[in-house]
Amino acid sequence: MSGLPVAAPTLLERAGRAGRAGSLLAVLAAGLIWVALLAPIIALLLHLSPSSIVSSLTASGAFAPTVISLEASGTTVGVLILAGTPLAWLLAHDRLPLPRLWEAGLLASLLLPPLVIGLLLIFMVGPLTPIGAALSVIHLSASNTFFALVVAEVYESAPYYVLGALTAFRSVDGRLEEQAAILGDRPGRAFLRVTLPLAAGGLAMALATAWARSIGAFGAVIIIAYHPFGLPLQIWTTLQETGLASALPFALVLLVVALPLPLLVYGWSARAQGRDRG
Amino acid sequence: MLRVAIEVERRRFQVAADFEVAAGERMSLFGPSGSGKTTILETITGLVRPRTGEIRLGDRILLRTAAPAMDLPVWRRRVGLLRQNPALFPHLSVDQNLTYGQGRRRAQDPEELIRRLELGDLGRARPAQLSGGQAHRVAAARLLLADHDALFLDEPYTGLDRRLARLLTDLIRDTAERRHLPTVMVTHELPEAQAFADTMAVLDEGRVLQRGHASEIVRRPASRRVAELVGYVDFLGLPEGGTLGLHPDRIRPGASPGLGRVLRGTVRRRRPSGAVWEADLEVASSPTATLTCRFDDVPPDPGADCEVTLLDPPRFDRDGKLTAETAR
Repeated sequence: MSGLPVAAPTLLERAGRAGRAGSLLAVLAAGLIWVALLAPIIALLLHLSPSSIVSSLTASGAFAPTVISLEASGTTVGVLILAGTPLAWLLAHDRLPLPRLWEAGLLASLLLPPLVIGLLLIFMVGPLTPIGAALSVIHLSASNTFFALVVAEVYESAPYYVLGALTAFRSVDGRLEEQAAILGDRPGRAFLRVTLPLAAGGLAMALATAWARSIGAFGAVIIIAYHPFGLPLQIWTTLQETGLASALPFALVLLVVALPLPLLVYGWSARAQGRDRG
Repeated sequence: MLRVAIEVERRRFQVAADFEVAAGERMSLFGPSGSGKTTILETITGLVRPRTGEIRLGDRILLRTAAPAMDLPVWRRRVGLLRQNPALFPHLSVDQNLTYGQGRRRAQDPEELIRRLELGDLGRARPAQLSGGQAHRVAAARLLLADHDALFLDEPYTGLDRRLARLLTDLIRDTAERRHLPTVMVTHELPEAQAFADTMAVLDEGRVLQRGHASEIVRRPASRRVAELVGYVDFLGLPEGGTLGLHPDRIRPGASPGLGRVLRGTVRRRRPSGAVWEADLEVASSPTATLTCRFDDVPPDPGADCEVTLLDPPRFDRDGKLTAETAR
């Protein structure tokens, strides 16, 4: 043995070891969460036999809820694009007085339990309210109609779109919009040529999230739009009347209808952002 | 002709600018960082709103706060600004960036610009693939291709080597001359300011301290503050009152009474400096001032006496104002 002292682990080395242990823990925790989140979907696929899927979907009237769900959430997405995009743009550019108040409003509808939203909607647009009365003049009713279904879905999904779009618009460097103006673009043109293409990835993600929320909306829907049946209510009533086995195929349909669009958009927007950042 | 008279509120001070730039004239706005140079350019462009003032370009009024008030939006001012951040559109190719501002009519031939700025094979690249210097050149070319009535350049040489900086200067100079554009460049580097412009304005804490020809300001700074900003490193107290400005480039060894004021001093230190030598001298009349003189060869030993000539030095009175009498 030479007389070299054996170095005690330095502070840095100890920190490094602690860091490795820490990152191992983090990976474990992440894996646990991943399994917990995906396991139900795997379980669903394991419990379905092809014959049961076919038999439940070919039963009379089984196709209608899918159509209604697609129509209602398609309409909802249209409403969100038309009404939510300007709101998000105005908020992102500080063009609204009392911006905190507007954001608080969005957060409130995000934080309210959907069931409570449904109850409150009855107080707002039910047949006995001024708004309900006004609607009846144009032969609309916001309870148990297609219109009511859309209203409920808009309330449940709007904050997801507007807050996501707000983030997307904020992530566009304001200097680029100024540069467009310097090069002669009036604001509308600069929006189409610069802001929109740069925010497109984030906007699409926000819209896809809102779409998934709206097609799966249940809490507010069951209170103000029990009829017509969309997929979530179909699942609920089937479960109540004939049990789990016949409800599961509808759950699969809901997943198949609701998920591909968001997943596609997710992949596309990640690629678009990678391209712009190099 | 660009005519600017504005007052802009800033956090620490008020920026007050009042100047004219003729069509085809190039002016440098020179001053330390944070002196309000960029604010002035952004106000003319319309990105910043002044408290009061008026801006005219040719026969158009871009802004007037007095009645009848007028405030053209940025996109109607037709005023080009090259900022330090190149702000290339990341979703467009270099070619698409270059032609972005060509809505109305072509200001000049893109082929020639692309060739002169050496952007030839970058047309299809995305901004994220460019180096800092390339991005800056693309931004400059994009600005020159747009149809503007005046050009403003905010520290345009950031990130460019000397050769490319020269290239850009020549290009902007040609463009301004051919299209008769008033052009203003902002910089905190004196040689850049001089190389670019016909006239120069020295800005400090939001005020224009002096305007004039680029060489005249260095030779005859109107005040001690201007002298400090244009490179006078120290001031020498005079027995008869007042001070002389000491500029390292304007002190010569030896007595040449015909060229300026001759001083006798004692060498304190000497050192090689690049291809020449430098020596610090102490002058009996003003022992605290640092007088550094460049020598072509080894200066005298420390402790030895030595004569130097201050080439036509500016002289300041007790208030720090330039005095008219010569200092010989």
